Parts: sequence; C-alpha cells; structure tokens
Amino acid sequence: MGKGKLIASVGAAAVVLGVGAYWLSRPEIVDPADVADAEAAIALAEYPETVLWGDTHLHTDNSIDAFGFGVRLGPEDALKFARGEEVTSTTGVKAKLARPLDFLVIADHSDGLGVMRRIYDAPRIAIRDATLRRWYDMMHESPQQSARATAELITAAGAGTLPEAMMDPERREKTATDIWNAQLQVLDRYYQPGKFTPLAGFEYTYQPDGNNLHRVVMFRDGIERTSKVLPYPGLTEEIGGLFDYMDAYEQATGGRALAIPHNSNLSNGLMFELTDASGGPMSARYARRRAMREPVVEATQIKGDSEAHPFLSPNDEFADFGKKGWDIGNLTLSRAKADPMYAGEYLREALKRGLSIEERTGANPYKFGMIGSTDSHTSLATGDEDNFFGKHTGNEPSAVRANAPQNLGTQVGRFGWNYLAGGYAAVWARANTRAEIFDAMMRREVYATTGPRMVVRFFGGFDFADNAFDGDWVRAGYKSGVPMGGELAGNGRQPRFLVSALKDPDGAHLDRVQIIKGWTEADGTVREKIYDVAWSDSDKRRRVNGRVPAVGDTVDRKTARYTNSIGAAELRTVWTDPDYRAGQRAFYYVRVLEIPTPRWPLFDALRFDMTLSPEAMDDAVAQERAYSSPIWIGPAGR
Amino acid sequence: MILSAWTREPIVHFLAAAAALFLYFSWVGEPADPASRAITVTREDRAALALQWERTMQRPPTDAELDIMVETFLREEVLYREAIRLGLDRDDPVVRKRLSNKMDYLAASMAETAAVSDSALADWLAKHPDRFTPDARYSFDQLYFAERAAAEVALAGGSTIGEAISLPASFENTDRNRIEGQLGQAFTAALDDLEPSQRWAGPVASGFGWHLVRLRGRVVGTPPELIDIRDQVEADWRSSTEAQRRKDAYQLLRSAYQVSVEK
Repeated sequence: MGKGKLIASVGAAAVVLGVGAYWLSRPEIVDPADVADAEAAIALAEYPETVLWGDTHLHTDNSIDAFGFGVRLGPEDALKFARGEEVTSTTGVKAKLARPLDFLVIADHSDGLGVMRRIYDAPRIAIRDATLRRWYDMMHESPQQSARATAELITAAGAGTLPEAMMDPERREKTATDIWNAQLQVLDRYYQPGKFTPLAGFEYTYQPDGNNLHRVVMFRDGIERTSKVLPYPGLTEEIGGLFDYMDAYEQATGGRALAIPHNSNLSNGLMFELTDASGGPMSARYARRRAMREPVVEATQIKGDSEAHPFLSPNDEFADFGKKGWDIGNLTLSRAKADPMYAGEYLREALKRGLSIEERTGANPYKFGMIGSTDSHTSLATGDEDNFFGKHTGNEPSAVRANAPQNLGTQVGRFGWNYLAGGYAAVWARANTRAEIFDAMMRREVYATTGPRMVVRFFGGFDFADNAFDGDWVRAGYKSGVPMGGELAGNGRQPRFLVSALKDPDGAHLDRVQIIKGWTEADGTVREKIYDVAWSDSDKRRRVNGRVPAVGDTVDRKTARYTNSIGAAELRTVWTDPDYRAGQRAFYYVRVLEIPTPRWPLFDALRFDMTLSPEAMDDAVAQERAYSSPIWIGPAGR
Repeated sequence: MILSAWTREPIVHFLAAAAALFLYFSWVGEPADPASRAITVTREDRAALALQWERTMQRPPTDAELDIMVETFLREEVLYREAIRLGLDRDDPVVRKRLSNKMDYLAASMAETAAVSDSALADWLAKHPDRFTPDARYSFDQLYFAERAAAEVALAGGSTIGEAISLPASFENTDRNRIEGQLGQAFTAALDDLEPSQRWAGPVASGFGWHLVRLRGRVVGTPPELIDIRDQVEADWRSSTEAQRRKDAYQLLRSAYQVSVEK
C-alpha cells in the first residue's frame, strides 16, 4: 500500500468519528408549526402605525466575494448584530447597532453559495453509507471493535473498495441543499414575530459584460417552503430565467417571492430599457411581468445613489448626491459610460419611461416603489454615516480607506470616499412579520432613506381638507385616499396629497420636502417637475426666482459636528397639483432633504487623524435624504 | 444524546477536520487534479448538474440547457487549472485568506453540532441574564413643545395642550426599543429618571424639542425561565462556544510553530 493511501486511510478513520458525532447530534430545528403559531399570535393593526426599518441586502461569509475579501462573520452574527446585539467584526472591532433593525434579508450571492463549506460537508454524506455506518458503530462499541473497524477501513482503502457514496450525484446535490437549509434554519431560529424578522433571500448576480443587472430575491415564507428550492444561480443569460424560477417556486410551494433590482446606476443603461430583454419592442406581457416581479427597486446603497442624475435632470440641484465615481462606467469599469446610457439607469427616468411604455402597450413595466439598503459585505448592516463598516472587510474602518483607490475592476477613477454609508428600507406594515413586510413591499408601501430614520407619510386623494392635519389625518389618509405606492383613478379633479416628514429622532433637522412629478404630454413626450412643498423657516426663506434658497451649513469640518440650529423637526402640508390636467398619466413621489451633515470620510479623518484628499474633502458633507414610493394617477376607467 | 468528553476536544475536531480535507482530496479531488490536461465529465457529473437545475427550476433541464451547463463547468475548470499552472494561487491575498478562513470554519462547525444539556444552558442563562431579559415597557403621555420655555410655562400653568407634531400623544405598555425608535435615545434615557406618577413632569429633551411627560407605568423586564427561551439561550451559547473553538484550534496549531518576528 502506498504511503498516500495509508495516510488517507488513517484520515478516513478520523473522519468517520468526527462525522458520526455530527450526525448523531445535529442541532434541533425550529418546528415550522411553532413559527406559524408565533406569527398567528401577533395582532394586526387596522392600518400601518409604525414604520419598520430594515436592510434587504446584506452579504455574509456565504457570499463568495465577501468571503474572498475576508469576512468571517456568518448569517448568525449578521442577525445578532441587526437585532441589536454586540458582535466582533472580522477585523476585531466590537460593533453594536445603537438602534437595532426590525427586519433583515440575508442576500448572499447565489452563484457559488457557500461553496467554501462544501469541503467540510462532503464527508458528512459518507456516513449515510451502510458500510461507514457500521464502522462508525463499531468504533463506538469498544476500543477493540474500534481498532478492527480501522483495520477494515485501511484494507478497503488499500484494495480500492471504499464506499462510493461521494460519487453519487443525488448525494452531491444534497451538499448544496444543506448550505441553504442551514441558513434557513438559522433564520427561523432568530425569527421573533412582532419584534424581529429575518427573511430568506439571495442575490442573483447577473452582469453581462460587467453591466450590473443584479437582483435581490426575497421570500415571504419559512423553511417548509423555501427549503423546497435552491437559490437561482446564473443559469440562463436572460432575466426571464429568474422570473421562470420565481413562477416555479410559487406554483410548487404556494409561497411568494419578489425581486429587487439594484445598482441600476452601474448597468450602463440596461436596467430600465425601453425594449424587452432581447432588444425587441416591449410587449405588454413582458411589461406586466417586470412590474409584478419587481415591485420595489433599491434607490440608494453603498455603491451610489440611483434616484436621479444631473445629466437627465439638469434643473435638479440635489441630483448629484452619490454620483461621483459611480457614473463613469459599469460595475467592473470594463466599459465607460456614454450619455445615452443614463436614461436606462436612474429611477426617476425609469418611472417616466414606464408611463410612456404604458401609453403604448397598456402596461407599465416600471411601476415600482423605492427602498434603500446597504449591500454591505461585512455581515454588518450599518447604514449611518458615523458607523460605516465598509463595503467589504477590505475597507472596514482604517486610516487609509477613504483616500484609497477602490479595488473593483480596473482600479481607475473610483475611490474609497465614493462609497456611501448605505441606506435603509422603511416599510409601513401592520405588524412585524414576514407576511406583513412582504405584502407591504408588494403594494409598494415603502420608502428609501440614505441612512437617517426619518418618518415619511404620503397619501394621495381628492377629498383632503386644507386643515386635514388637525384631526386623525393618518386614518383619513387611508380612508379617503391611497398611501405611497398606491394608484389613483383620474376623475378630472386635481389630485391632493398629504405629506409629512418627521426628522430622525437622533439625527439632523429637515431642510425641505419636495414632490417630484413625472407625466406624459399629449404629444407623448414625458416631463418632470420638482415642487418644493414645505421647508423650514418658510417665513424667512422666501423663494428666489422660483427656488427655495439653500438652508445653510453648520458642519464644522474639523470636528465633524453639526448643529440643529437650522432646519425643522417636522415638515408637513396638504398639497394640490396646480398643473394637473384631466386625463393625465403621472406619478408623484416625495423627496425629503436633511440639513447638511458630515459623511463618513469626515468621521474617519477625525478618528484616524488623517487628511482627506481635496476631492474627498469637497464631498465630505452632504444632505441625506428619503425617497417615497410614488403614487400614480392615470386616465379614468383603467 | 450526550457525547463522551473526547468528542469535545479541539484536537479531535482538528484531526477529524484535517482528515476530512485530506480524504476529500484523495478521493474526490482526483478528477480535478490541476496538473492534468484531461477532463472527463462523467455521467454522474452531468446528472449532478441536471439535478441541481431541477431542484432550482422545479423541472429537468432540456438537452440544450444541460449542454450549456456542462460548457460553463468546463470553462471554469480549464481556466482554474491554467491559473494553478501559472501559479496564480500563490501570494494571492484572497486565496490565502480564503484558505485560512476555511480552517477556522472547520474548527467552528464542530461546535455548531455538539449537543448541549439543559443544566449547561441554565448556567449560561444565569451567567448572562442581561442578554435574555426583555426590554422594559413604559406607559406614558407626552406633550410636545418646540421651545423649552413654552414647555415650562405649560407645566407651571397646568396646561395640557402641546404643539402639533406627528408623534403619538400616548404610549401603552410599549417596549423600550420602540420608544427609542420613535422619540430617540435622549428622551428614552430620561424616562428612567422619572418616577411613575399621575402628574406631568419635565421638560424632557428629545431630538424634536421638549416634552412634558406623564409616566403612568414602567415594567422592568425579568429574565424568563429557561424552558420558555431554550432556543434563544442555545443559539447564544452555540455561537459563543464557536468563537472559543476557533480560538482553541488556532492556539493548538500555532503552538506547533516556531515563530520569530524580526524588528
């Protein structure tokens, strides 16, 4: 017998022991019936009363790239951190969220999900083999039997007659399933209906030629359904493949799934095309499928902000937020950006395109709500400027990360300071459960923030009184109107809106609230207009040439401090669209701007006593913001 | 079941883990021998790919789809082997990190699977009661004022009319987290300094301005019994133990090295 074989045989003995111990002591899983009972015990409010905060896009060490960058924290640490417990980051820094999240979607890349676990998992299969089981039993019986088993094992290895359990395709398939199932079990273990909700999901990492067409897929269901499928990897080179997968899941299990596109800003114009995925004219069927499968889109996250772009909206003085570095090319920077690409990348333009496609085909493919998320690859869902834990473990807090070129693709043109701290998803749900959060996303009753937790309400209708805020206006909003994400059927009257923005209780004051409208003209052209509807100190800050002057800036660049001596704690108003024409097809969404505050590079400069590059310093202060989902209005009788 | 003590020894885990790696490579690893320029996609390989597809899409792949999967598999394998041939895996910080993390994983995953007795969990709960104690709950009414002076005037004059703001006027048995989310950290901390009473107190500062508060009740959480939160305690115990296992395993390996750091 060769030396290698001998070592292998001795190794095999140890494996059998270790693996056997594993099999006989698998941790108990939470009974799905218990989960269902706990969910059923949660009372539903009459209408959504409090907003739930979460991140739908967090990577852990099950993501091949996150792992490659060195993260060692897994789904369990991610869940602990999100619900407010202290964890130690991969680089050894203790981390605790000052304010816990209400929900979390762990969205690891489906391609190569947890492959690094496979090597460990592979031998586990072996114990199912009758021979190995017998050996295992012998080893436990007595030292003598154990020695005999080892001898048998060595003989078998030498003779090449070891069990072929590992070569069985069915069992190999099982390893991939186990990784997914292990994650699903952890999710159920951390699920506390009414208090903290982990949702199952994954990221579909589709990027033809480096153009980012990624989607996060999120499930409504627990393990009894989600364990019936595997995350969808890049099986086909067309987005329809993902939708087929979602259809198949729903049909086979009775569950529900939705997809959330993100980083359209890095798609080089491909995320929101006027054509279908193969370049042909968009059919109503394709349009309906997109709208049904993608009810919400990530408007803002670490890799930039996708709400609007100065090229498309030259009159919008706030459109340049989170663009630097990101708008020069696609995700990998394999292709530079050309002007015609912008229109397929930014959400405001996509909403407009949706209107014009609807006019042509009768179906609006881009009728989506907006959320923010992190896309953090550190297992830590941090969205605030003063707690930015980096895009990945390679840029967790350090003295060099802000000025350093960042390392995706060609390393040209993008720097650490281009990263945003990441956003959060705000969800108006009747209770903190999987079903309620999922359903709120389906009806788009959600909004995006770039990190701060401002509370934004937005209702559209026709019958709101001028003094609506004097009474129980939230109830009135639901009773005689539709909330954000809803649709109004045009009846010839001007639509009215209740809009309220309450500042983050531990954050900055508010500068202004805007309503952004997009609509189609009679000749088919699509337009947009930004209305300032409420702003702080409005008696002193009068409009100049139709514009509300800047709110000011209290940020001390040396100490990274600001004061709430400007701005307002709450801004709210009843607004009527003065430019509405009967029969118009339009959308309206709210943008809330905070007063200027320091961005994370400024906190880094202070903490690590380093100097930011001039470009980074120019961008070290920003107005954080929220984007509501739109309310649509169309011709009557739709 | 209770496993005998040796199964909990890090050395056993590590031996088993190392053996697992070795075994895997010596059996399964052969077809992927990077030194070879022969690649055989066996019927089993194809069947595995097909099964994975079926598991994902709830239907078997067509022949064309299977061919594409095989092509993708081959492409990755060819490039992988050529990369190894060129030595691209050496001195690669990502590969290095990845492999070292795999070692960590091996150490930790053993702890993930060990069974734990009730008495060990009861000890754990007794040792870390703060981790399992539910939030305190508060019942109170609040009146809002933008300026402190206005709040003081209202308090002195016995007025119960605050200024308009979109915050609830009353909270009933609401847990601390929820209050902190709506009214902020400063306000919530101040609640702990108030004694429950039927009288208005304050002004209390928040991120919004000032508040008069009538704290009607406060229920401080007590640690639940193990039987009610066994899953939670076990999850906590397990992840803490995992971290310890990783440490132990590393120390074991580290102790076999002679390290000199030149300065």
